[in-house]
Amino acid sequence: MSDPATPPRSLAEALRHRDDASLGALLRARPDLITPVPTDLTQLATRAGTRASVVRALERLDRFALQTAEALAVAAEPASYAELLGLMAGYEVDAAVEGALPRALGTLREQALVWGGDDRLRLVRTARELLAPSPQHPSPTGLGPTVQEATAGMSPGRIQEIVGAAGLPSTHDAVSAVAALTGLYGDRKRMAALLDQAPPESLEVLARLVWGPPYGQVTADPAARLRWLIDRGLLLPTAPGTVVLPREVALHLRGGHAHRTTEPLPPAVEPAAVHRPQVVDAAAAGQAYTALATVAELLKDWHEGGPAVMRAGGLSVRDLKRTAVALDLPEPVAAFWVELAYAAGLLASDSEADERYAATPAYDEWLERPAAERWARLAEAWLTATRTSGLVGGRDAKDRSLSALGPGLDRSAAPEVRHRVLSLLAGLPTGAAPTADSVLARLRWERPPRGPQPGDDLRGRLARWALSESEMLGVTGRGALSAHGRALLGAPAAPAAETLPAGPGDKLPVHRTSAPTPPPPLEPLTPAEQATASAAAIRLLTPLLPEPLDHVLLQADLTAVAPGPLERPLADMLDVLADVESKGGATVYRFTPGSVRRALDAGRAATDLHAFLAAHSRTPVPQPLTYLIDDVARRHGRLRVGAASAYVRCDDDAVLSEILADKRAAGLRLRRLAPTVLATQADPTALLDGLRALGFAPAAESADGDVLITRSDAHRTLPRTAPEPVPDGPPVPDATLLSAAIRAIRAGDLASTTPRKPSAAPVSGGALPRTGHAETLATMQAAVLTGETLWIGYVNAEGAASQRVIAPIRVEGGFVTAYDHTADEVRTYPLHRVTGVAELADDGD
Amino acid sequence: MNGPLIVQSDKTLLLEVDHEQADECRRAIAAFAELERAPEHIHTYRVTPLGLWNARAAGHDAEQVVDALVQFSRYPVPHALLVDVAETMDRYGRLTLSKDPAHGLVLTTTDRPVLEEILRSKRIAPLVGIRIDPDTVAVHPSERGQIKQALLKLGWPAEDLAGYVDGEAHPIELDEDGWALRPYQKQAVENFWHGGSGVVVLPCGAGKTLVGAGAMAQAKSTTLILVTNTVSARQWKHELVKRTSLTEEEIGEYSGTRKEIRPVTIATYQVLTTKRKGVYPHLELFDSRDWGLILYDEVHLLPAPVFKFTADLQARRRLGLTATLVREDGRESDVFSLIGPKRFDAPWKEIEAQGYIAPADCVEVRVNLTDAERLAYATAETEEKYRFCATTETKRKVTEAIVRRFAGQQILVIGQYIDQLDELGEHLNAPVIKGETSNAQREKLFGAFREGEISVLVVSKVANFSIDLPEATVAVQVSGTFGSRQEEAQRLGRVLRPKADGHKAHFYSVVARDTLDQDFAAHRQRFLAEQGYAYRIMDADELLAEES
Repeated sequence: MSDPATPPRSLAEALRHRDDASLGALLRARPDLITPVPTDLTQLATRAGTRASVVRALERLDRFALQTAEALAVAAEPASYAELLGLMAGYEVDAAVEGALPRALGTLREQALVWGGDDRLRLVRTARELLAPSPQHPSPTGLGPTVQEATAGMSPGRIQEIVGAAGLPSTHDAVSAVAALTGLYGDRKRMAALLDQAPPESLEVLARLVWGPPYGQVTADPAARLRWLIDRGLLLPTAPGTVVLPREVALHLRGGHAHRTTEPLPPAVEPAAVHRPQVVDAAAAGQAYTALATVAELLKDWHEGGPAVMRAGGLSVRDLKRTAVALDLPEPVAAFWVELAYAAGLLASDSEADERYAATPAYDEWLERPAAERWARLAEAWLTATRTSGLVGGRDAKDRSLSALGPGLDRSAAPEVRHRVLSLLAGLPTGAAPTADSVLARLRWERPPRGPQPGDDLRGRLARWALSESEMLGVTGRGALSAHGRALLGAPAAPAAETLPAGPGDKLPVHRTSAPTPPPPLEPLTPAEQATASAAAIRLLTPLLPEPLDHVLLQADLTAVAPGPLERPLADMLDVLADVESKGGATVYRFTPGSVRRALDAGRAATDLHAFLAAHSRTPVPQPLTYLIDDVARRHGRLRVGAASAYVRCDDDAVLSEILADKRAAGLRLRRLAPTVLATQADPTALLDGLRALGFAPAAESADGDVLITRSDAHRTLPRTAPEPVPDGPPVPDATLLSAAIRAIRAGDLASTTPRKPSAAPVSGGALPRTGHAETLATMQAAVLTGETLWIGYVNAEGAASQRVIAPIRVEGGFVTAYDHTADEVRTYPLHRVTGVAELADDGD
Repeated sequence: MNGPLIVQSDKTLLLEVDHEQADECRRAIAAFAELERAPEHIHTYRVTPLGLWNARAAGHDAEQVVDALVQFSRYPVPHALLVDVAETMDRYGRLTLSKDPAHGLVLTTTDRPVLEEILRSKRIAPLVGIRIDPDTVAVHPSERGQIKQALLKLGWPAEDLAGYVDGEAHPIELDEDGWALRPYQKQAVENFWHGGSGVVVLPCGAGKTLVGAGAMAQAKSTTLILVTNTVSARQWKHELVKRTSLTEEEIGEYSGTRKEIRPVTIATYQVLTTKRKGVYPHLELFDSRDWGLILYDEVHLLPAPVFKFTADLQARRRLGLTATLVREDGRESDVFSLIGPKRFDAPWKEIEAQGYIAPADCVEVRVNLTDAERLAYATAETEEKYRFCATTETKRKVTEAIVRRFAGQQILVIGQYIDQLDELGEHLNAPVIKGETSNAQREKLFGAFREGEISVLVVSKVANFSIDLPEATVAVQVSGTFGSRQEEAQRLGRVLRPKADGHKAHFYSVVARDTLDQDFAAHRQRFLAEQGYAYRIMDADELLAEES
């Protein structure tokens, strides 16, 4: 913190006074400041003051800290702690605000957004610019400009009139008059007396403007109630037809509050219901098992080649729909599982010419793991994934539809929001399930959304998805964090719920009267920590998952019921031998002639099937099932089908025997199908040639059995267009292009011939100006303030160097926006491409 | 977690019957889940919206359903399924049909958007009248059934609180002299009466007629009984005179030959659905008396026009009776919405275990076609194929062998094709009952068979339903109506009545191997296999070899 003896004069100095821990906290909170690592504290302070960095820091403030910063932005510079407290708490004592303000201020100081001692608090200039009210950017406080700002362009005579009307003695100059007015508006007693005289209609006008927006429209001849206010400066004109309520007046009317509502404390996450922990864990485990089954089913569905990859990447809507139907799930849920399997590395594109999605080798390994480990793999992938399946089906900024597995689904905030949501759940007593709205309210407090509609923000949607996905994945059960979910997060054990309603349906709402103390925020785990946490989660989950069974129950209605999950080989075999009729905790299989035939096609013999069923059935194999298998087996394979591309037939089977016996015919690989028919894989032409070589005179036969007459066909290409003539040299330029080119040439000429001041780095005639980066930046910034025109050297993206004459308008984020005299338009140049800068000689004007 | 129940993601429930908690679990889930299959080890129940709404109608709430699932489930129940159950059940009762003193029948809602939604439906709009207030709309009293049916299809079932008319009172008592209603029959009557209207499903031979009689004794009012055919109508009459205080004079028959309307009237579906010049002339029967109860026998056969009439009868109590609520046309849900939900259902094997129906030995005998027949079969037109394979020569030999084996016992031979039956009748020297046989002749033959004067009877499908042959112990099915599951069940039902000497019943189905006949047989047997009847398969050669 600052040394009280010598108060810091700048942010850099304030930073210099801070100890290492405090600087460390700053850099942890704003990691963008050390990429790249700044050379010194001055540079750090400069970078901390850049617009992009400040915006980023402000976005990450919680609601109360942001409100504190907003209050500082409307306070005088510098402001004292007492003034700030007044703005936050109003004229009355507000214990909650008083209690929370030091923390909020501490956050702002830590993040180098505020510096200076409690008597001289200063908001970083960029932050002040961003947060202070202006007609273009109304402040969230709804306050208008100060009297001083609002009267800046006013004639001294008019100011004196106002002073008079407000009942103040006239002063000798405008500055003191404004000061007197400000003093009056800031004085609660005198102000109250002044407003007491106001007609009630005028007070109504003030009441309408007091919480903002502070601007109002007036006609050229305002009504009496407005006239009264305008005369006394309680409304000041800003533009013709517009008046504004000055900040001091508004603050008085608001009772000193900068905000309509201050929220010093985070809203509590309300448990909607408290379930018994066993119920939560069992429900979550059940869902975890369903998750594994769903992923396995998905990849089994894609076993023999999944859907094709679209040209733009991703899964087509139709394929997603088909997959959803196959999984018997709604499409968004199917998209979630597809994305999850992808994030866990279980499926990927096969990168072949005809690109399709398929399971990866990792999937086969995954299948071999115990169930709890399989779950942990999915859950870990989900925790850290930036891909968000919730976006699937929506449209991106360019109005392209977002497809599952396709590009554009990454949202970098997703893991953080997910983690935060789960940490909030972890902060609740065991078994407590919060309402989604209270979780969202809390998240909105911690990170107020930018933009007018709070319901529409990405973080809110991410949080809702996180809640529903964690339920589907079995991290939570019945909306409460499960024991294995808690272990996965590496969270400490939660306090037990105070009341445990009995009964299996226990979902009585439990209302908490006092807000719980916010638990310390959970940090995302490092990979090593995550491995330990996952191992703990696996230990907790394993006993909750059902043991795989090695038997089924066979029934006379030709069904088999597996009253639980089956061991892999058994399940694989049954999948072939029977059709799945119903899934869930158990699986119901039905034997049909078709399914039995499938097993026979897969190379099983009827005896194998009988033995298999006898071995795995708890009950005697029903006779109809035995019959079914025997019946199908009896007919299986009676008809044989094969492919042959050519045949030889001859009524005289002796000739065919002769051909078969001939060694030279071995290359034709002829096979006798019947006494008078030979078949081969060779094509008919080769066969004809081969037989002719053996000294036979075969005739070709058409599909109908007629003898085929051959004659040679003319060979033609597909339709083709004639070649275009190649012209000599480039086409003649048109008038527009010509005039533009001439203007550019003339402007370049102006840039190179304009006399210039001698710059720090000597510039030889015609060469590009060369200056150091720091100097370039400083000169540019100076030029923005003074409105000077500069001469710069610039290298474009193709590496071509040029000289330009520009008038810089704004320098920020590594870019200079300037009016380019050379091109005659406003352009933006990256600063790193500017080789150097020189001021133009004054005699240019 | 080691319960007897496994909840599947397709909303079927698998119940392991050998589990110690199985009975307890069965009772808990029966309220909302339909028993779909009951083979030997694992019974399958299905949770359907209809079942859940019926459970709501019977006073169960979502909490109980969820509790039952969670308590007995072996594995964690998918949360999505529990949510779905709760949401589905929550849809019931948002709309109520009730009587308003001023406006008559009204549809009220507790959830205004639902009313708005359904009023915008094209199917509902013509059924409702004026909007009385934002939450209430008038309904034409005659559309009570239609609107219930339409609302059910839209997924917003209405709770019908409009009640029933009592109808014209008529004293009816059960005459329990030397017999008594069996416990499950009592339970069925009680469930029906408590629920107001509905369907009772009992296996063939388990005494459905007595459940009807019991219901009439509860209602004590004029009753209209709808049956499948005249023989069945006579049997109902006979049974009612025997088992209740009703006399012959109080019971009328309304059929093709007689048109009597009495306090208890038995009508056939056929006469009701007779159409002349585009109108149904016998419809006034429904309005001819102030019926207090309408009984539908063999409700699975309810013809489509009767559905339409039934829709107009929603203010009267309705009882449907059937052995197998499987309709090959898939209109089960119309039965539920128009007659009422299933009020009682007993698995066949359970009744068998209680000794009220005889245990049966089901055998499928596979015969081979001769080579000549195979060629004829292969070249036959598609529509002729089944006939070709079902009437193979070998079947006759096998049937004769079976009849010889059970000589002396009461044997029914059932088939589809008259030629085949005539030929069989000739060879077996047995009378044939077919469509053209007069009712008098039929009753005479049935009587003779009942008395044991003749021991073998060849019948066509006319005898499919409601003939009472108490001592038939063996049935041989040579052909059937393609793959009809309920026909197979009905035919098995012919031999299931308990035998005096506790003998097993025998059911033979003769099937031609490797033909359509075999495929149809597999389909036909599915219902019974799912009810736990395990078919034994035999080769014809084997059977014939045993003979010699």
